[in-house]
Amino acid sequence: MAPDAPRSLLERRVVIVTGKGGTGKTTVAAALAVAAAKAGKRVLVAEMGRDEHIPRLLCPGSPAVGYAGRELMPGIHAMRIDPFAALGEYLALQIGLKPLVDSVMHNQAFQQLMGAAPGWRELITLGKIWHLDQLRDPDGSPRYDYIVVDAPATGHGVTFLDVPRVVVSAVRAGPLHQHTEAVEALIEDPDRTLLLPVTLAEELPVRETNELIARVRSDLAIAVDRVVVNAVAPAPFPTGLEDLDEVLARLPDSIALGALPPPSQLAACARTLRLRHELNSGFVTEIAAGTALPLVILPRLQGGIEGPREIETLASALVAVPSWEVA
Amino acid sequence: MNASQFAEESLELGRIVVCVGCGGVGKTTVAAALALEAARRHRKVAVITIDPARRLADALGVGQLGNEPQEIPRDQLTALGVPEDGGLFAMMLDMKRTFDDLVERFSEDPAARDNVLANPIYRHVSDALAGSVEYSAMEKVFQLCEQGRFDLVVVDTPPAQHALDFLDAPQRMVDFLESRIVQILIHPAMAAGRFGFKVFHRGARKVLQLLERISGLGFLEDVSEFLMAFEHMSEGFRDRAIQVRELLLGPEAAFVLVAGPARESALQAEQLHDRLEATGVPLSAVLINRIHRWPGDSGVPPLAADTPPAATDVAKLEEALANSEGPDFPAEAAAQAAIAAATGYAEQVRRDVRATESLQRRTERQGRYWGTIPELAEDVHDLAGLGHVADLIFERSAGG
Repeated sequence: MAPDAPRSLLERRVVIVTGKGGTGKTTVAAALAVAAAKAGKRVLVAEMGRDEHIPRLLCPGSPAVGYAGRELMPGIHAMRIDPFAALGEYLALQIGLKPLVDSVMHNQAFQQLMGAAPGWRELITLGKIWHLDQLRDPDGSPRYDYIVVDAPATGHGVTFLDVPRVVVSAVRAGPLHQHTEAVEALIEDPDRTLLLPVTLAEELPVRETNELIARVRSDLAIAVDRVVVNAVAPAPFPTGLEDLDEVLARLPDSIALGALPPPSQLAACARTLRLRHELNSGFVTEIAAGTALPLVILPRLQGGIEGPREIETLASALVAVPSWEVA
Repeated sequence: MNASQFAEESLELGRIVVCVGCGGVGKTTVAAALALEAARRHRKVAVITIDPARRLADALGVGQLGNEPQEIPRDQLTALGVPEDGGLFAMMLDMKRTFDDLVERFSEDPAARDNVLANPIYRHVSDALAGSVEYSAMEKVFQLCEQGRFDLVVVDTPPAQHALDFLDAPQRMVDFLESRIVQILIHPAMAAGRFGFKVFHRGARKVLQLLERISGLGFLEDVSEFLMAFEHMSEGFRDRAIQVRELLLGPEAAFVLVAGPARESALQAEQLHDRLEATGVPLSAVLINRIHRWPGDSGVPPLAADTPPAATDVAKLEEALANSEGPDFPAEAAAQAAIAAATGYAEQVRRDVRATESLQRRTERQGRYWGTIPELAEDVHDLAGLGHVADLIFERSAGG
């Protein structure tokens, strides 16, 4: 018996998108922002790397959004969480003396020390996400209804979610303890926060995703209820014609087909597409078995991801009900 | 530069090949294929991988973390065309151990070494801190080159967010060790005699108090303990960092940029290309992995989504299919499906050309080798597969 279908992706407030490099994690984060905005939500999409990719995908040619952030398209704000900027903001809030904080932040020695100190980047980044979740407009309504976080590649992705717990247990009292507890409560609340892993149906990403899910289950209290499998090659031929490439391969190239490519080329294209589809399908089965989670399958788009149009296509596929059935 | 010039300069005459690129583009496969190719060219090669796919790791005999290169058995190499005087060794990098080895090497005595190894900050530095992964990869390359056991070392760099972090990593570590705050933590009294210290000291104290107030941690105590234990090693690390950098930027090293054919991947490759140039890295080649290549000789697909083929041509294909031997099947649907599939494939070929053409122009204009490796129907997971990839990189066989 299949368990109940998970809730809609749009029901949470914070979705942390994670995945190995090259899996299309950022594309999925952008598509999720578009889907949420279409559903009428006020969306913030936050990147965590040193480079910005979201503006290029949603709004080609737009300048960088930076830490301050900007509305990229109606209903979608984008920003990049820079740990140093977030730290400055936090210190200013805590201490209240902006000039003092500025002088500290600009102190080279301080920067060097923080450059080497472990853990704080993760903590301050999650703290910023908590803060964004708490922001209210003057009328008391939340500034953002939906926050999409484009997390770093998985190796670091899980570690960074573990930091609040470590800090809460290490720091027994004081403001840092309280603040971190609030962050931890947000991360661990399945009604508010969801971890969304993205993978490709290929060997390395599948292995890493299986390991990620195992680690989330054993070490972390964050909710995860589905896996996004990106760029899955669709079945290339209709039912009943599964061996089409072999039929084509039997035709001699001496047959004249006018302006069409010769049969051997048609067969080669068809064979490549079929084998890629079979390879992907095998790994889709493997990820379903390895994670015991329902899957959201995103098709590989023929023309690739070039901009907003393709992101829209993925947006609708992304919020469809995930499936326990493996193609 | 053509394929054979690239092979000659970097694989036959060079001492180091560094594969750089963003995550998920198949750097490990390319690094291993280049190493195999060099072995075929009579060289004794070690390939260092960071995180190979399980089956590829097994094929290379590096399924277990070893941290020392393991030789690929001779009979397997002979089957792949590696001559008697060529050899291939592979290892998977154990980052933590590489770093520990380094501490051991630069420690004055066993007590100092144990102090460092047991310090909580060190444990963080060695497995979590930015740069240490990159640092240990480059350190291993340097060790292997220094030993002189191998003619060539090929390295697959870590999938760092910024693929060039490894170049700066040794310097960053030295900068930190030599930074003023570190000096003050170690030698408060000595630093006090210096000009300008008072001003700085006040600032530093404020910073430290602030940190402790916010964190409530004994973090600073650990830091100063660690630094004190580490102090004597600073010299060794600095010399080492300079040597590693010289080797990597010198004439015996060749950098190979590996990228995927999709638009986003090509854009990232161009950014990386900019950074490599700005750093003065000797880039030798750009290899696009898993590109869609049209099976015909010309490489130009004769189909496009926006120009449907003539009905008379479709009828010809339909007729040929109807007349073909074998079990009955709907010829009309089959002809449509065959054309649809080939058109879809043609669009992927065009997409890849569009996405990579600016990178290609730039690479060729600067006299570097531009190579493409077609998408294969299966993942590469054995030595024969690596041999095939090497053939494709050096254009010894058409298409996949």
